[in-house]
Amino acid sequence: MTSAVMGETVVEARRRLREALLEAGGVVGDGKSAAAASPPLQTPFGIAEPVEGREVSAVAVGAPLQESRDAAFADGIQRYMVEGRIGVTPIIRAYVGAAVLDRRDRGLLPAKHEAEEFIVAPLERLTDATVARLHETGLPVHDCGVAEREHPILDVQLAVQQIEQRRRRAEVSVVAAFRREFPDAWIVVDGSLRAYDEEARESRLLGVIKSHETQFLAGVDLETALTLPEAHRTTVFRRVGGRENTIHSWYLRLWDWVEQDILFGLVRVERQRGPQVLDEIEEVCSWLLAERSPMSTPDTRWDRLLYPIHEVENYLKARAGSWW
Amino acid sequence: MVVERTEGRKDEKTARRTVEVDEQRDDPPVAVPSDPIGRVVATERLPASPHQFHFWTEVETPIGIGAIVRVEGKARTVYAVVVDAKAYSDLADPLHEVRVAAGIPGGHVAPTHRTEIRLWTAAVLRQVPEEPLQPVPLAEVFLASEQDVQVALRMESYVQVAEPTGIPIGLYATGGVSAPVYLDANFLLGPESAHLNISGVSGLATKTSAVEFLLKSVFTHFPSSKGRIAAVCFNVKGPDLCFLDRPADLTREDLEMYARLDIEPTPFDNVHYFAPFKADGININTLRSHADLVGSVQPLVWGLREVLDYHEVLLNRDDLDAKAAAFIDFLTDRVVEKEFRDEWGTTHRVRTFSELERLFRAIFDGLEASGRGDTWRTHHIATIRKIRNRLLNISTRCKGLVTDDGASEDLPFGTFEDRSIYVIDVAGMDQLAQDLVFTRVVSKLREHLERRDLGVDHVIVFADELNKYAPGDGPDTYVRKMLLDISERGRYLGLVLFGAQQFRSQVHRRVVGNASTTMFGRMDMDELATPGYQVLSQATKIKLATLPKGELMLRHPHFTQPVFLRFPRPPVLTGPAGVAAYPPATDVPFDEAVMRQLVALDRRVSPNAVAEIIADRREEDVRRALLATRRARPDDVLAYFRTALGPRVSHATIAPAAAGTTPLRSVEDPYAR
Repeated sequence: MTSAVMGETVVEARRRLREALLEAGGVVGDGKSAAAASPPLQTPFGIAEPVEGREVSAVAVGAPLQESRDAAFADGIQRYMVEGRIGVTPIIRAYVGAAVLDRRDRGLLPAKHEAEEFIVAPLERLTDATVARLHETGLPVHDCGVAEREHPILDVQLAVQQIEQRRRRAEVSVVAAFRREFPDAWIVVDGSLRAYDEEARESRLLGVIKSHETQFLAGVDLETALTLPEAHRTTVFRRVGGRENTIHSWYLRLWDWVEQDILFGLVRVERQRGPQVLDEIEEVCSWLLAERSPMSTPDTRWDRLLYPIHEVENYLKARAGSWW
Repeated sequence: MVVERTEGRKDEKTARRTVEVDEQRDDPPVAVPSDPIGRVVATERLPASPHQFHFWTEVETPIGIGAIVRVEGKARTVYAVVVDAKAYSDLADPLHEVRVAAGIPGGHVAPTHRTEIRLWTAAVLRQVPEEPLQPVPLAEVFLASEQDVQVALRMESYVQVAEPTGIPIGLYATGGVSAPVYLDANFLLGPESAHLNISGVSGLATKTSAVEFLLKSVFTHFPSSKGRIAAVCFNVKGPDLCFLDRPADLTREDLEMYARLDIEPTPFDNVHYFAPFKADGININTLRSHADLVGSVQPLVWGLREVLDYHEVLLNRDDLDAKAAAFIDFLTDRVVEKEFRDEWGTTHRVRTFSELERLFRAIFDGLEASGRGDTWRTHHIATIRKIRNRLLNISTRCKGLVTDDGASEDLPFGTFEDRSIYVIDVAGMDQLAQDLVFTRVVSKLREHLERRDLGVDHVIVFADELNKYAPGDGPDTYVRKMLLDISERGRYLGLVLFGAQQFRSQVHRRVVGNASTTMFGRMDMDELATPGYQVLSQATKIKLATLPKGELMLRHPHFTQPVFLRFPRPPVLTGPAGVAAYPPATDVPFDEAVMRQLVALDRRVSPNAVAEIIADRREEDVRRALLATRRARPDDVLAYFRTALGPRVSHATIAPAAAGTTPLRSVEDPYAR
């Protein structure tokens, strides 16, 4: 279901879902977002090996690019509500959306958009009748799997993983759709390229990671990376392991972090391996440095959030409206 | 997938709109862009109400303040005029821009334009259906078409009817759409409501130009079924109204506007000019004194009767106490133009200021000689002296307008012609004389309209500088009282006031308040800050303060909101252009002036013959004969003039009186004893 059919339909679907929960002997929640505590870091450490030089070092980046580069920017959003529970089993209504905004002559215009609203629940714990009743709401129903036993928070976290997966799928989908139309365009996606298969990670796809949840470097290398001065990058390294083998990465300090947190203004950039990575790295860094302007304030992540990505988020939020 | 972007879509759209606009310029019945230009937005803090709403547009949009738009709801169409606008971006703090630009404006150009909005506020002009009155629907917004403008301003009720009463006032023009705007004659010229007031800073000629154009429009479109109409214009400054019968050099754009408004771009073909004499009593006191034009200016000359009838104008409040008023009433009722015999046996027939002075002298001499104290017929001598001084002073202060010898020349009350203009040039006159002219002319118009014998059924009186004649503060003058009376009751008589002033706030509020139609040219910001303009948005005020020549803001009873429009330059020469084309003549000697005026009446008149006739004649006799000739406009001007002047009396030497003969006491009264 796209966001275009939201409004009355959403209200009706929500009413039907609540009726279904009650008919199944469940209770209805207060409709507020689940206060799911942020889960512990799933993959705090990764493995990497140098590509550029023998060890990680800081390299000064040239001046910010003076002209605007035509490019596309992609991102996604997700929202969810624990609508109620059957016993302790959560029934979650979720919304994911993804979009590509195309920048031409400094102006951003929507190019691709997908959105989906659905129900997520550990279906194994529900009776067939309850599942059937959920389907009758008209919303797609997805299974999030179950933990070894019922857990009011863990079950929600599992559902959230399912929601994140669907959000990433939507992001990959809009990027692919845009790429089909504009094969030569630069595309900057919010986050890692890991979700994209190797074919999709063609040369002009950049991932800009601002969360730093997974650290690939250690020791002096890590310190070098996390203490980069403003307008400096690290040398390029390669992620090691499975599908990530072909992803090359480097850190880039957008803003001076003195008197700030060590991660202030620090992003990690990913790009599919190839000779162009090193050939174009100065140009790409110079370009990304220029993207510091405009600032994406008042977002609290403004030091790492590129304005066009911020705008994709705003666009998606506007499309979602006051989803509840 | 909901949104698709195809390359070049915006460009194509813009190009299509541009083509339509270009077509509109050459072919007036316009094709209106059918694409929506905006969409209504409403939040709890910025809700849409039945009278106002907000909408957004692209950054590049054809609309601006004053544009008329249409909102198409499912079952409701709303017409509105844009009254305010905002633009803002998602910039959280201006310091952020400083920081990314390293403090150097222009030093860094961001690779992405910030998201920004053009948020417009529109005031509702009309909803269809009108009942039940509901908030404006949150729907698409379109630029109003010509037809939309008619509906929005409710003009179809008096333009698209069997007997239309629409008077074109100008063109609404925005975003390539232009539409004629009409006033309703029933609300401009009565009887429903009436009067027009126009404000604007001086020097842009907007006020005078607008009125001249509107008069042309009225004369063209006023329905003949509603009667005959004329205009009386007071030229109070410079040469503003001195060339209404001279064609202007109009631009192609002006001519196109005239064509759209169905008005012939020709000057007025029936204009009558009146002006007093200068102090010399022979040269006309007007800037329309070029030899080619002065012949069409008729002198305005009034005598004692005309002055006494309006003595309240001339005597200030301090002068005019009960005793003075009683004495003037005595003079008016018992003396002027009557046989009056004084206590000393002299019979007076007072028709002129000279004869009045003779009466006063007789009274003073009589009282002094008889020693009968200080009262004459219950009037104290001090009162008599005061009135004498004031009245005789008038003939000095208003010299040129008021004649000593009783002959008067006036407007053709009773024979006013349909669709004609009577211009009274008072620009060069003393303020007192201006007041007298204004009061008397308007009063006479009123009298004749009441009696239905003026010659026309409606008269438009145009007076500039209303802040001088009807100020909001200051003494309650006779002129102001009369203007108030016209404003409040004139429409029932067909007497309509077109008033103009620089500062509306300085005019009596009942005078401007009774004007059903109001126009504003470029306004002074200080004036716009006064309470009378509180209903206007700040953006509207800014637009008013920067209005170019030829544009104005209009309020009319049918329009629920003010409307901005353009009007063509008037089809007549402006004052400065007229003076350049017809430089005023310098004053000429008495004999020369008489010759020119007689030649102007009849080109066959020989200057030599005139010189011979008036040689050695008293100037007052020549003036009197000239006035009589002007008034009569005979076939044989010279013969009439000679007859009016009378036979020449030859000089005779009178022998000194013989000793013992009692001399006459007064040469003016040879029979006095």
